[in-house]
Amino acid sequence: MASTTVETREPDSEDPVVELRNASVTYDDGNSYVLDHVSMDVHRHEVIGVIGESGSGKSMLAESMLDSIPDPGVLRGQVRYNPSEGEPIDVLDLTTEELRQLRWEEISMVFQGAMSSFNPTMRVGKHFEETLSAHDADIDEGLAFARELLQDLYLEPDRVLNSYPHELSGGMQQRALIALSLVLEPELLVMDEPTAALDLLMQRSILRLLRELKEKYDLTMVFITHDLPLIAALADRLAIMYAFHPVEIGRTEEIVQNAAHPYTRALLNSTPNLDAPIEEMVPIPGSQPAPINVPDGCAYHPRCPLADEQCRSSKPDYVSVSDRHTSACYHWDDARDEIALNYSENLGDAARSGGDE
Amino acid sequence: MPGDEVVLSLEDIEVHFENKSSLLDFGGESETVRAVDGVSLDIYERDVIALVGESGCGKTTLGKTSIGLQRPTGGSVKYRGEDIWDIRDGKVDTDTEWADIRQSLQIIHQDPGASLNPNRRLVSILSEPLRQVNPNLSKQEKRERIYALLERVGMTPAADFAERYPHQLSGGEQQRVALCRALLMNPDVILADEAISALDVSLRVEMMDLMLDLQEEFDTSYVFISHDLSNARYFTAHSGGRIGVMYLGQIAEIGPAEAMIQDPHHPYTNVLRWATPDLSLQDAGEVPMRKIDIPDPVDPPKGCNFQTRCPEAREACRQADPQSYHAENQRVRCFREDEDHEYWESPELTD
Repeated sequence: MASTTVETREPDSEDPVVELRNASVTYDDGNSYVLDHVSMDVHRHEVIGVIGESGSGKSMLAESMLDSIPDPGVLRGQVRYNPSEGEPIDVLDLTTEELRQLRWEEISMVFQGAMSSFNPTMRVGKHFEETLSAHDADIDEGLAFARELLQDLYLEPDRVLNSYPHELSGGMQQRALIALSLVLEPELLVMDEPTAALDLLMQRSILRLLRELKEKYDLTMVFITHDLPLIAALADRLAIMYAFHPVEIGRTEEIVQNAAHPYTRALLNSTPNLDAPIEEMVPIPGSQPAPINVPDGCAYHPRCPLADEQCRSSKPDYVSVSDRHTSACYHWDDARDEIALNYSENLGDAARSGGDE
Repeated sequence: MPGDEVVLSLEDIEVHFENKSSLLDFGGESETVRAVDGVSLDIYERDVIALVGESGCGKTTLGKTSIGLQRPTGGSVKYRGEDIWDIRDGKVDTDTEWADIRQSLQIIHQDPGASLNPNRRLVSILSEPLRQVNPNLSKQEKRERIYALLERVGMTPAADFAERYPHQLSGGEQQRVALCRALLMNPDVILADEAISALDVSLRVEMMDLMLDLQEEFDTSYVFISHDLSNARYFTAHSGGRIGVMYLGQIAEIGPAEAMIQDPHHPYTNVLRWATPDLSLQDAGEVPMRKIDIPDPVDPPKGCNFQTRCPEAREACRQADPQSYHAENQRVRCFREDEDHEYWESPELTD
């Protein structure tokens, strides 16, 4: 298959597209947090993977960027969007109309399960037309661009645009949805498990195509998933969610080779993969806390082999582990010594040399 | 480890679905989907076979056919030497009854929430199989067995769990209940149809471990369906099992787990290996196929059915359908296994 030979723009950590500051989502009159004081940036031209198990708050993190938390959830804190040109925008201060324009034109979102995003009684092409006209875009130019996007995604534009959603396979629908999300040329694409309902071969093929799209159109991507190995080859950085906030954020190589949080290390070891000796794959005992029942101190302490009195009584702040790598753990250094990664023999020297650059 | 005795024997199985033309187009020809097209497979006692392949490759249809939930349109399914559909139709004179066969061949579905009755407590859900297998058990004895099994699968306190409804359980717990329900039938073979796919990644190893631990205690075999080669590898390698790679209704390659992973022969097995993410962070490169989408199963390619996407395809692959060759440990449907085949002289396909 032909590859695109466009010069890649490197992610710029000095130039955040989205800045979250103390973003929290509460239900139940502010008593239960499903997103708990999250402060993080999305850098321009990066792919950041947000990894979490069911109920870790990862979808809330995605939806907070578009201020689209389902009722009756309440989003507080600051969500700032910095367009490539023009003034920063405080997303939570926007009117309904301004928000409507921001979504899709500036920040676009792709969900799991294309079948429920498309209208089953409308041809795929009509979805493109309606989207373009709802945002006052030129329909002919927009459709020409849509055809190019569909071709980039290895779809036949004529066939896809003239089909009803059910006439396409799941993988084709999801790719058509990705094309639809990009038709207004947004700056940021937020994807919430966009490939989860598909078989692995289609998932990996789509990831490969996303990488090519990202390079061709200078996109920034937030990719939400529970599947760390799936996104590891695409993401520049990873954020690991546990109990409604990220417990560790760092460059992908750093996280995979030198994770500095006991949960991340346990998660890596519990993941079936083709590299690790099978005797060494171990599940994480216990389960994630529910929003109404988050333990005091570090939320991971009941499952953590390194937990001590401090972990039980006070919540750890982020520690800077190395360049652009932070972990919310008192014992991040011990975690590296005491929780060995089961695939490290295959990683070469980088894994053992220690990450403190 | 698998035993010597064959429990289930599939011979040249075909499952063809007719897509009848609607009332309105009288002239329309009916379309046939060849969901399974000529598969032979023996399943031994305490065996583990993983069937892998992408959506629409026929792995679920083959699985359901092997446990008697789908009648094949061709070929035979034999349970301990007897044709199960002959027994079903009363064509043979034997002591084996259809009900015994149905009881011996069980299934766990992908979505455990949908497979458990939402209006019944666990104790009632799990009493049902016990009642069928052993109608003479007293209520107290049934309860004791259910509690013991719930404890065995880590759902403690069992007396508390037994009184719960399915919606009061997590996805992992629901799947364990579905496993318990299947095991209480004392089955010879359990079909696990994407049974761990809906679980969080971190819970999958735990569920597979539990299934394998219980395999020894209950003396059962598994047919494990998955689209994920790393799960298939984990499940089969722990138990001396085999992985079968399916493509458009046929088994493209089958062999022992580690041989399939470390030394795949069929180009399609290689494609699945590419699709399996790892943590090496090396660039896996571009999609190693000429086309991303699977061909329409109503109109499968002529010759080898993978030739339209295969990166190694040559003109010879269009002309004839490869038979099954013996590689070192595997059986492979690909001309590349035959050093003297005309394949090597024919031009590459490039479209």
